[in-house]
Amino acid sequence: MTIKGEKRLSYMVLALPAVIIYLAVVAFPTIFSVLLSLTNYNGGPIFGNSDIQFVGFKSYIWMFTEPTGNFYTSLLNNMYIVGVSVFGQIPLGFAMAYILSRKLIKTGTRFFQSMIFLPYVISPIIIGVLFKAFIMGPHSVYMEIVRTFNPDAVFTLNTRPMIPVLLVILWMFTGFYMIIFLANMQRIDPAIIEAARIDGAKEGRILYHIILPAMTGVIITCAILAISGSLRTFDLIYAMTSGGPAGQTRVLSLYMYQSAFQGSANYPLANAISTVMVLISVILIVVTRRVGRIFGGKEE
Amino acid sequence: MDNRSVSIVTKVFIYLVMSVFAVLSIYPIFWLLLQSFKTNQVYLTTNKLSFPAEWFFGNYEFVWVRGGFSTFFSNSVIYAVITVVLVVLLSNMAGFAFAKIRYKITPLLHGLFVVGILLTIQSILIPLFLMVNAVGLYNTRLGVLIPYIGLGLPMGVYLCTDFMKGIHDELLEAARIDGAGFLKIFARIVFPMCAPVSVTLAIITFTATWNEFILMNLMTAGDKYKAIPAAVGRFAGTLGSDYGKLFTSLSISLIPILIFYLIFRNQITKGVAAGSVKG
Repeated sequence: MTIKGEKRLSYMVLALPAVIIYLAVVAFPTIFSVLLSLTNYNGGPIFGNSDIQFVGFKSYIWMFTEPTGNFYTSLLNNMYIVGVSVFGQIPLGFAMAYILSRKLIKTGTRFFQSMIFLPYVISPIIIGVLFKAFIMGPHSVYMEIVRTFNPDAVFTLNTRPMIPVLLVILWMFTGFYMIIFLANMQRIDPAIIEAARIDGAKEGRILYHIILPAMTGVIITCAILAISGSLRTFDLIYAMTSGGPAGQTRVLSLYMYQSAFQGSANYPLANAISTVMVLISVILIVVTRRVGRIFGGKEE
Repeated sequence: MDNRSVSIVTKVFIYLVMSVFAVLSIYPIFWLLLQSFKTNQVYLTTNKLSFPAEWFFGNYEFVWVRGGFSTFFSNSVIYAVITVVLVVLLSNMAGFAFAKIRYKITPLLHGLFVVGILLTIQSILIPLFLMVNAVGLYNTRLGVLIPYIGLGLPMGVYLCTDFMKGIHDELLEAARIDGAGFLKIFARIVFPMCAPVSVTLAIITFTATWNEFILMNLMTAGDKYKAIPAAVGRFAGTLGSDYGKLFTSLSISLIPILIFYLIFRNQITKGVAAGSVKG
């Protein structure tokens, strides 16, 4: 065998298994999903089914204009989740990472880091079921605490059902952002900070003039991760509320899932929702690459 | 680093705040483990925040034996181990080809994988479900495993390619001159050198697979092939009114990942940071 032939064969043997599985499991379904959303396919065999017709954007128009406004409710909930990240998890995570990385406290940094990150590694479905028992319903800890102050309190349904969901999301993912900030803050050259200190800079000035500017790219990356994370949110809400009451806590993924797999199937609608999610992902990817190019040096 | 610029008062305040966050983070889990040792009757009638007066182990026996959690547990182990092994191996192989052999098509292929990192699986759930059905893999282990491996690859290929770019070419060229083929170089030299990134990848993949719910729930029917999270989802519906057993099923699901976290917490945080920053 020639050297060139050996090189080519090796490349194929090494790269092809991953490429084939990836194309089959991720790339092809993505395109497939977009194509399906333009047809009237609604269950049954998909290959060789002559009833499947091309209907253009009919499903999308229906999704955007149907009277219940379920799509907008779900999208708004996704935005609330992004909001909790941007205004809650990211600032909190940043603050904690700052405290830990600047060693403002000497002992226990490892301990705090491990404890605060812990919720992130637990299955969201388990967390959902746990918090359903913990803060929702007549036998919850929440009601127990309410009753210690007001023994006659009776459990009532929450009028703003997204609030407990958002609190749990805040609880789960703050540690994740803390870890990302921590990893990047540790990459800042300590000599720069030391030089500033020798020049008499106070802690506040170090934060404002050295650490914050170095973290700009990371903060933007975190915001992007927040959006993609909100699109991924499913298990937690599925377990906590199943999107109820009356669809008030649905997010796009749950709306899609319930349209396709629960009750009377509506695949065209579900596929249209999927495509919107793919579109948002694609936009995010483009933005991420841009951000990576602008701030790339600082994130290496 | 010295701490002259931080006063004692500030320090106490910081300790206080951090302690509050740490306690908030672990208290619900601690609470859950405690309540799993109460019978339903005891849970409903005593203070919800109290320690169990008598430690009751019957829930564990019920959930493990009658609840079928021994099956779900071994399914979880099977899915996680096979997925981890194959994702690590395939990612290393592709990473080596992309970083060290290189063809014109490499940037395109590598780019495809990188794009996959930010893609959400929910958006491809329906086509995946239809495809798994069409090829007759519905309610089989393979029907779950193949998607799991495919979904683990984007991050894996990205991390491995990145790591292998850091290996010096001279090392490979020396082996080439000695007459070693690329496959041999990969197996004998590069793959062992990539142990650090393989460990990181294995840990990320293990956590993700162990916790995965939506795909498992969709691709399997009945209990035979379900793993722990999907079982918990169903269990919560049927056992929702028996809190003792419900909490125990959650605790049984939690304990393995807690132990895993205690052992590997530093690698886990490192892996999460490495995987998510660049995207």
